[in-house]
Amino acid sequence: MLEHLQTLISLEGAVRWGRALVLVVLGLLLAFTVSRLLQRVMRRRMTAHVAQIARRLVFYSVLGVFIAAAMSELGFSLTVIMGAAGILTVALGFASQTTASNLISGLFLIGEHSFEVGDLIRVGDLTGEVLSIDALSVKLKTFDNLFVRIPNETLIKSQVTTLTRYPIRRIDLALGVAYKEDIEHVRDILIRVADANPLCLDEPAPQFIFTGFGDSSLNIQFSVWVVRENFLELRNAISAEIKKAFDEADIEIPFPHRTLYAGEATRPFPVTVVESVPASGPPNPDARSDEDA
Amino acid sequence: MGKASRKSTSRPWWATRELRRGSRLVLELGPIKLELGHGDGEWLLWSQTGPEEDGPGRSRIAVRRGLPEEVHERFVHDGPDRRVMLAPVLGDRSVVVRPRQPVYLLSRQEVTFYLSTPIWLKIMVGTAQLTLRELASVRLSDTWFGPSTRIGELCYANRTHARRNLAELPHRPHRAITPLRIRNNAQEALPLEKISLPVPMLALFGAEDGSLWTQRATLVRDEVSDLASVRVESAKDNADPYGRPLTRLAAPRHENPMAVVRAFSTFFQGF
Repeated sequence: MLEHLQTLISLEGAVRWGRALVLVVLGLLLAFTVSRLLQRVMRRRMTAHVAQIARRLVFYSVLGVFIAAAMSELGFSLTVIMGAAGILTVALGFASQTTASNLISGLFLIGEHSFEVGDLIRVGDLTGEVLSIDALSVKLKTFDNLFVRIPNETLIKSQVTTLTRYPIRRIDLALGVAYKEDIEHVRDILIRVADANPLCLDEPAPQFIFTGFGDSSLNIQFSVWVVRENFLELRNAISAEIKKAFDEADIEIPFPHRTLYAGEATRPFPVTVVESVPASGPPNPDARSDEDA
Repeated sequence: MGKASRKSTSRPWWATRELRRGSRLVLELGPIKLELGHGDGEWLLWSQTGPEEDGPGRSRIAVRRGLPEEVHERFVHDGPDRRVMLAPVLGDRSVVVRPRQPVYLLSRQEVTFYLSTPIWLKIMVGTAQLTLRELASVRLSDTWFGPSTRIGELCYANRTHARRNLAELPHRPHRAITPLRIRNNAQEALPLEKISLPVPMLALFGAEDGSLWTQRATLVRDEVSDLASVRVESAKDNADPYGRPLTRLAAPRHENPMAVVRAFSTFFQGF
């Protein structure tokens, strides 16, 4: 070993060092050029994110080969290095199972194209805009401006809804009207409300679905379509417009009705209607006489 | 000569005007009313859009003393320029026209319909013609035009009587008329339930009487499909169907004289 070090320090060693350095610099230049070229080619066909990952992969692979060659030039045995690297990899693998799982899940997520940066997604109860899709996690910004990091493994295992995948969305409004109302009339009013709102898409046409006889109302689902950017605006506006139209047409939106029944065996609650007594004024002479009596 | 061709000797409403400081331009064009005031280093804008009526509409423009009583928006500037131009432009999306009654074009037949679409008002000031605002004369409803909820195009929806006789068209100054020739080369009749008029591909022209026109567009359907090739006639010989000369007021938003677009649709029942 000492002999080997002495050789390295000698003139011959200096030449070897020079060669190794040249190899590393060459490797850096080549890795940089090839990876850049690859990214440029891939950007036309794939997303920027995939292109970036491919660029990094190529960069480190090319650089790794040149570093290995440089080390071989310096007299290090590659077999020993590879063996040590293998043992280290096994040890690291056991220690970082979660990380590896996230890493692989990340690759699947990118490959699937379920969502991209800038999309709005819902994972469980969480809804937010995708800020980045990284090797280990996906970063979201929620509507209340919170930064959320979701591990890729969690995303692979859960149900993810991409809200901004398609340009138009449907709003389902659950409504109830009183039993006395004419359903056809209610339908006409709802269609008129949808027609009057320019944000509500003309096609696909609004849909009126009678969903059943409820406890205290006739239940209806009224579905309208909207461009996804106007989703919230229309959902708020159309609810208010329906309420206004129902009020104008005297259509009752009922609340749950409860009837108290005391049973046959019991006498009904004694209810007596009395005239209201003025709060101030001359005292009732009859009442006084009763008290006196 | 029909209702759409009344003569007028005054300057059309889209002509450039000078607006002194402390005065205002008042315009009433069909359902839209606006006032543009020239204040001290600022332009003051008030506008209002009412419901559109089926009958003829009126256009009135005047320069009056005093600023608008009510102001919706202010545009500040540091220049002394007092030029104002209200330029009509066509819509930024295709307009899906639905005939009020079902119309079918028989096989190997050709027909011309006169379709009207509402214009947008572009309010421009100064020699550099800086745009202050673009106002829709009628806010048409949004609609989706395509074979599914995944594939298609966002358009505006409009109802039409699909008139074939020009004389029947009411004079509505806030609408531009497009002579649309449709040719059905297919073996089967073509149901004209919905026609997508590629408005952004059309240029806008004005006649002396204040009526607005676009070039003639031709939709040709060759097969049983909802795709059609659209051809927009060149704007060299600008004349309306009465043969009167027209002035070019606005270029198409998208220059594409020959294109294949989704022009007819028989889709959309379930979702």
